[in-house]
Amino acid sequence: MTAYIVRRSGLALITLLAVLTLVFVLVRIVPGDPAQVILGDQASREAILAMRVRLGLDRPLLVQYFEFLGGALRGDWGVSMVSGRPVIEEVMAVLPWTLELTLLSLLIGTGVGVPLGVVAAVHRNRLPDYGARIASLLGLSFPPFVSAILLLLLFAIVFPLFPVISATQGSLSAWLQAITLPAINLGLITAAYITRVTRSAMLEVFSEDYVRTARAKGVPWRAVVWRHALRNALIPVITIVGLYLSILIGNSVLTEIVFNRPGLGKLIVGALNQRDYTMLQGMMVIYTFMVVLVNLSTDLAYAAVDPRVKLQ
Amino acid sequence: MRRPFGLLGTVAIAASVIGAGAAFAEKKTLFVGMASADAGKLDPHLTATTPDKGLLNWMFNGLVRIRPGQASPEFIEPDIAESWTSNAAGTEWTFHLRPGVQCHHDYGEFTAEDAAYSLRRAATKATSSFSSDFASLEKIEPLDKLTLKLTLKNPAPGFLGYLVNYHGGNMVCKKAAEEMKENFAKMPIGTGPFEFAEYQPQQFVKLVANKKYFRGVPQLDAIVYRYIPSNASRDLAFQSGELDLIYGRQEETWVERIAKLPGAKVATLELAEMSALYLNTAVKPLDDIRVRQAIAHAIDRQAIVAFKGRSTSRLAVSVVPSGYLGTDEHAPLYDYDVAKAKQLLAEAGYPNGVTVKAIHTTLPSMQEVIEVVQAQLKKANINLDVELVEHATFHQKIREDLSPIVHYQAARFPVADVYLTQFYHSRSQVGTPTAVTNFTHCSLADDDIDAARVEPDPVKQKALWKKAQDKLVKEVCGIPIYEQLQVWGWKDNLDLGYELKGSLNLSPPIIETTHFK
Repeated sequence: MTAYIVRRSGLALITLLAVLTLVFVLVRIVPGDPAQVILGDQASREAILAMRVRLGLDRPLLVQYFEFLGGALRGDWGVSMVSGRPVIEEVMAVLPWTLELTLLSLLIGTGVGVPLGVVAAVHRNRLPDYGARIASLLGLSFPPFVSAILLLLLFAIVFPLFPVISATQGSLSAWLQAITLPAINLGLITAAYITRVTRSAMLEVFSEDYVRTARAKGVPWRAVVWRHALRNALIPVITIVGLYLSILIGNSVLTEIVFNRPGLGKLIVGALNQRDYTMLQGMMVIYTFMVVLVNLSTDLAYAAVDPRVKLQ
Repeated sequence: MRRPFGLLGTVAIAASVIGAGAAFAEKKTLFVGMASADAGKLDPHLTATTPDKGLLNWMFNGLVRIRPGQASPEFIEPDIAESWTSNAAGTEWTFHLRPGVQCHHDYGEFTAEDAAYSLRRAATKATSSFSSDFASLEKIEPLDKLTLKLTLKNPAPGFLGYLVNYHGGNMVCKKAAEEMKENFAKMPIGTGPFEFAEYQPQQFVKLVANKKYFRGVPQLDAIVYRYIPSNASRDLAFQSGELDLIYGRQEETWVERIAKLPGAKVATLELAEMSALYLNTAVKPLDDIRVRQAIAHAIDRQAIVAFKGRSTSRLAVSVVPSGYLGTDEHAPLYDYDVAKAKQLLAEAGYPNGVTVKAIHTTLPSMQEVIEVVQAQLKKANINLDVELVEHATFHQKIREDLSPIVHYQAARFPVADVYLTQFYHSRSQVGTPTAVTNFTHCSLADDDIDAARVEPDPVKQKALWKKAQDKLVKEVCGIPIYEQLQVWGWKDNLDLGYELKGSLNLSPPIIETTHFK
């Protein structure tokens, strides 16, 4: 187990180093000048050049690269070119918002998706199955910003139960009000994915010999489904949850924008629009780190769910 | 699944009732919704973006100001300076400051030293985006605590316009700016009716009333300036009562829809942003005036105004937007005449039509216009080959002189000199060290623009500006299309404290008398 973790962590470090280099190159390949964006369209060429000097963009690329690499290894991501605030400070300010939204929506997605997938598989080609499949198809087809607007129209305007601006902190009730609609919005889309994966995994497991044997031995159907079949079907579900968690962090940007919530997705899009190189570099590395972490956790979770999986 | 949602709903109802009560009690806080994802650099001498300018305007004063609710320099009135004099040539200006003007956050009294520091900062390339506005400044001398003398290198009759609370004219407090240096943008210190209190990334900037404001304590306690990039969410938040004042969409349908909401008001205001095509007269086929004239004849400007909506847009009148000091309101623009356009093309050696390239932004409000223009030009056998790129890329590419036709939309300080200089003077030509936004490679009006800038006689000055505009229109360096007014919506219980007709910073001034009724 320890050797496995060490080996995986080593690979993760190499990935991070490659990402650092790639990120540095990528953000500079994109056309657009941060100095121009900061100063606006009335700025003269002279003013733009002066701003480039202030931002350190006049120095050779190699100097900038090694400074970035050195800083990154020390855990110093520099300061945002636009706001002048440390990148890590800006990230830490919005990270909790993204985490709570992502984890809650994942919780909703799993809580709804797994049982729905099981029910659909158990009632294959019958009404509950058709219902679950149509619902999951709808969830997959609906762009998150459309469902977000619909939720707001319904629950913030027609029935004013929740605020439109979901960036509220403070009491538990205020937090609940703020998080409910965005979490439902993202959660139902996640549920759509999980429903489909769970259904197909369960159908595959139902055809296995041990399920037939269990039924032949007289094990109650409920126990066969929930204790024997589901546990075995969870491996692909965990894979998809792990993969989807990575996507979810990025996908949350539309939900963040429509519900006016701060978040990593919004931060990265803003940095991209403003060509904020330092912020983009820091953000992309942090994002990569999170994806690597999620993948590592997914691998480790396999062993916890299925004893046949050996961590070697 | 019904039970937990029911529980949440119950909690939410309870919370919303409590929230509604709290909101009712907090009607001294103004909630503003701005179309932006986040704050930019909140330094008044650096930023020129609409979301930042509006906010900074509520925190800073100038030596003079344009009367709240107006946008024209004819309404210049005292601000920090209570009076001023100048010599006949307009080369020496003496300002007498009000006593007792206080800097925010106890940074002390604002004196002539602060004013001198501000102007030096605004005139320095390293600390200001607007240094070129102050190129004519020769000497800045605080004569005593409350007297400031400015000496110019040459006569500049319109110099007072640079001293309003706009761009480089914003007065910063010396001690704060020196202490904070690069960090000044994180906590801007001015003397205006509201002072900086808090910034939450991607959420809001909060300002609180400056209790020591020299015009009296503001009636509002605070302003929460929320960054809401989604148009739909901003509208819904306004509809739900979470916002009192919102930046509107420059669309007829938006105006009609929001105006119908109970308790809502919508206003269109100056300064209008003029949408124009700038033609690079140095490249083929646009180096032939007949091709440029053909393009001008092929554009149906009336149809574009009808398309954009008559309540939010109007016809452009010249290469300078209407209402600016010195605009030729009856410039000889080319009529819509497709047959004439085809004839001119044939004469220029393109009987089967011509293709011209344009790099264009994907910004929806501008993209829809270039698509209409493209369709109109097609009728005259002019194929506008539009390459769509993301907005920041667009700004970079057009400044690299890569787009023979540039579609640009802008408002500037409302004096003809600024627009003419930035868009048509050879000094501003892209690709040069002093480049701003002259994409045309036209220099034929340089002499008139330069002469007008130093002309002390207002009548002669206007004549020179008119001459410059006529030349530029006839030579088809630029094709003005339409003007887009600013659109804002607000709750009718909000009394701005003045009649809103225009705003130099493109957003309604929030002043000491602004209050909820």
